[in-house]
Amino acid sequence: MRKNTLLAATILCGSLALSTAPVSAQAQVLSESPSTSIGGKGPHLPHPPGWYNAPSPDAPQAPGVNAADIPPGPPAEPSEATPAVAQQSSNPAHDDWPAYGRDSNATRSSPLDQITPDNVSQLKEAFVYHTGSKPGPGEANKWAAETTPIKVGDGLYMCSAMNDMMRLDPATGKEVWHFKAGVKYESIPYTAACKAVTYYTSSTVPEGQPCHTRILEGTLDMRLIEVDAETGKRCEAFGYHGEVNLMKGMGESVPGFVSMTAPVPVVNGAIITNQEVLDGQRRWAPSGVIRGYDAETGRFLWAWDVNRPNEHGEPKEGEHYSRGTPNSWAAMTGDNELGLVYVPTGNSAADYYSAMRSDKENAVSSAVVALDVKTGTPRWVFQTVHKDVWDYDIGSQATLTDLPAEDGSGTVPALLMPTKRGQTFVLDRRTGKPILPVEERPAPLDTDVPGDPRSPTQPWSVGMPRLGFPPLKESDMWGMTPIDELYCRLLFKKSKYEGEFTAPEISHPWIEYPGYNGGSDWGSIAYDAKSGILIANWNNTPMRDQLVHRTKADALGLLPIDSPHFNPKAGGAEGNGAMADSPYGILVTPFWNKFTGLMCNKPPYGMITAIDMHAHKVLWQHPLGSARANGPWGLPTYMPLTIGTPNNGGPLITASGLVFVGATTDNLIHAFDIKTGKEVWNAVLPGGGQATPMTYEYKGKQYVAIMAGGHHFMMTPVSDALVVYALPDKN
Amino acid sequence: MGKVRCPRGAGEWANCLVALLLILLGLPLVIMGVQLVFFGGSPYYVLFGVTIIAGGILMLAGRVLGAQLYLVAWLCTWPWAFWQVGLNGWGLLPHLFGPTLVAIAVVLTIPVLRRMEQEAQIKGSVA
Repeated sequence: MRKNTLLAATILCGSLALSTAPVSAQAQVLSESPSTSIGGKGPHLPHPPGWYNAPSPDAPQAPGVNAADIPPGPPAEPSEATPAVAQQSSNPAHDDWPAYGRDSNATRSSPLDQITPDNVSQLKEAFVYHTGSKPGPGEANKWAAETTPIKVGDGLYMCSAMNDMMRLDPATGKEVWHFKAGVKYESIPYTAACKAVTYYTSSTVPEGQPCHTRILEGTLDMRLIEVDAETGKRCEAFGYHGEVNLMKGMGESVPGFVSMTAPVPVVNGAIITNQEVLDGQRRWAPSGVIRGYDAETGRFLWAWDVNRPNEHGEPKEGEHYSRGTPNSWAAMTGDNELGLVYVPTGNSAADYYSAMRSDKENAVSSAVVALDVKTGTPRWVFQTVHKDVWDYDIGSQATLTDLPAEDGSGTVPALLMPTKRGQTFVLDRRTGKPILPVEERPAPLDTDVPGDPRSPTQPWSVGMPRLGFPPLKESDMWGMTPIDELYCRLLFKKSKYEGEFTAPEISHPWIEYPGYNGGSDWGSIAYDAKSGILIANWNNTPMRDQLVHRTKADALGLLPIDSPHFNPKAGGAEGNGAMADSPYGILVTPFWNKFTGLMCNKPPYGMITAIDMHAHKVLWQHPLGSARANGPWGLPTYMPLTIGTPNNGGPLITASGLVFVGATTDNLIHAFDIKTGKEVWNAVLPGGGQATPMTYEYKGKQYVAIMAGGHHFMMTPVSDALVVYALPDKN
Repeated sequence: MGKVRCPRGAGEWANCLVALLLILLGLPLVIMGVQLVFFGGSPYYVLFGVTIIAGGILMLAGRVLGAQLYLVAWLCTWPWAFWQVGLNGWGLLPHLFGPTLVAIAVVLTIPVLRRMEQEAQIKGSVA
């Protein structure tokens, strides 16, 4: 292995060597940290101070926020869901993949075994389906479909990046129906994504009638839409002509500020909704409220609103859900038996500054919150980061399984919660108490941000192997030559870094490691309960951040998305942000050499790990992704050498002992032998494979499907292609 | 000490280019390397930079010692690199690959430098 990488490195260098020296020299001349390039002597503002303000949090919603112009109706009181019937996802048919995470436990583990480590190399494209959603002329690329189709019976169901829903023939990819959602470009938040639709079986409509089975989604423009699974026509009895306006009660907003990209779970008849609120905009961003709606009728059931904990109804006329509260954008997991939904929460708005947060927010941010699906009240909370100022919101979906009890007395219903920190917490899902030990360890306290002290300790899941590497050191810096490597060493030494949880700093940049892309992000994990093997792919990409005083943020033109003067090119989510209403703006960049576009830390940037959950030990672990489509200045090297690339999108496990994963920036889909970790197959996709693959069987044939939608932030090519593989017919 | 003079012939021009390359590469190493030491980092880069600039200047002056200086710095880099990153192939890349390519160029200049030294000696003895 090591020999191979050494050889690989030597070969790779051949292609780089000629051009390295001049560029590195240029890097030296131009090198300046963000702090110095901003200028510290009272910046001159091109506009009067009031120009930079965000609108009042009580201002009315902008046109287009209620995307379907659904009449609001009076504020609803809490109510109970129509009694439910058993859903496909609770007990999936052998051939099916009826939910985003295959089943309601989100295991991403299939019993199919036709494709094996021995024959996987014969996989061929069975069909390619085009969703039709990609950037139009003149539209900036904000696409990353991230879609995983679901399969129930004779239908393969999916959504496009812009929320069109469709049913395909599972054997041919032929479109059976196509529902046009009519989402507008301005409603795209950070990313046009639709991770999956939800399959719902009605409890009141008899079999054979329209809308007995339904396809359900939450949209980028905050609507719940239910259509008939057979015809793709709206379920008129659901909400207002098949739609519910989720911006009701949210208060001031503009299109693109609040959106839904994750599939909604249905738990005991209740649809649970969460929403992504654009990062970095303003302290008083729209609410992170979690709500329940009746899956039959779309009727409002309850709200869990962090700063209004005792009010579960819709806000009264002229009021709104509490603003700036932690938003949850990850896929939630439902638990019909315990009547809970496990909500992976994010951070309060203004991610990098915590002095304006309420105690109630601090108690539930970057946590797993188990909500009672009948009432919307939390039954337990487990926090993974205290007072998060690192954007360590949980992007992953929790996976449920039963683990053997430590004392040998049967099994414990467990919840596996991967995090961006690379800490995987294993909790008892009845109580939220750790099954594997969690230690509170001291965290750095040193900060020059006045009035915003850090938590003295942070939780570490010490019983689980960590999906991460030890803290960075100077000798971990990297480049192509000693000169650009030295540039990164200097950048590293000039930044504040005290290990994980290095506190934010105003006077100079600090290093955030792990970075906000994880560890584990939305791809989550796959878990095979039979073998007890957990598969996780994860990132190793530090960030370099700095807080800037408001006047500097103004001088940089950082404005919140709802400012009348907002310019989308100046800042947005996952980058520099205004954090309006707070004293600071935030500058966020990958910890890289901006002249070469290479990360400053040495590879790998992405890994895949197999963990034996019975022994809590790593079975195998290696870099994930090749250098073929990556290189300095964003140029492909065309070299099939494993380097370990950043990756987004989860793995899947089959009973035949295969792991399929796309995710990497080399635009490949990979298959690994789960026993050895050996890569047994890969194929080039027409776009970036930043989506979780799925597998199904139809008419005796197993298929593997992956959305090759690409990802704008990962800089992989965008496409609208769903690629489906199968073994060739034997004849 | 040989004097810097205009190169004659392809060999001397090539030597001149390699020598200038060493100086050009050495400058950022020294400038950033001094800052790195100031911020508490490794002194390797400033030492490497000073050595190869010295090597480059001596090579311009037609001295074999210049090439030898670079090669010594390059040889010393190997154990240092392994000490820094172990057997990690990607990690070794920046430390070893480029400098090795340069080392090959420097080795090729040695015959030219030898001849330049001999010529200088002959001239010296004549004068």
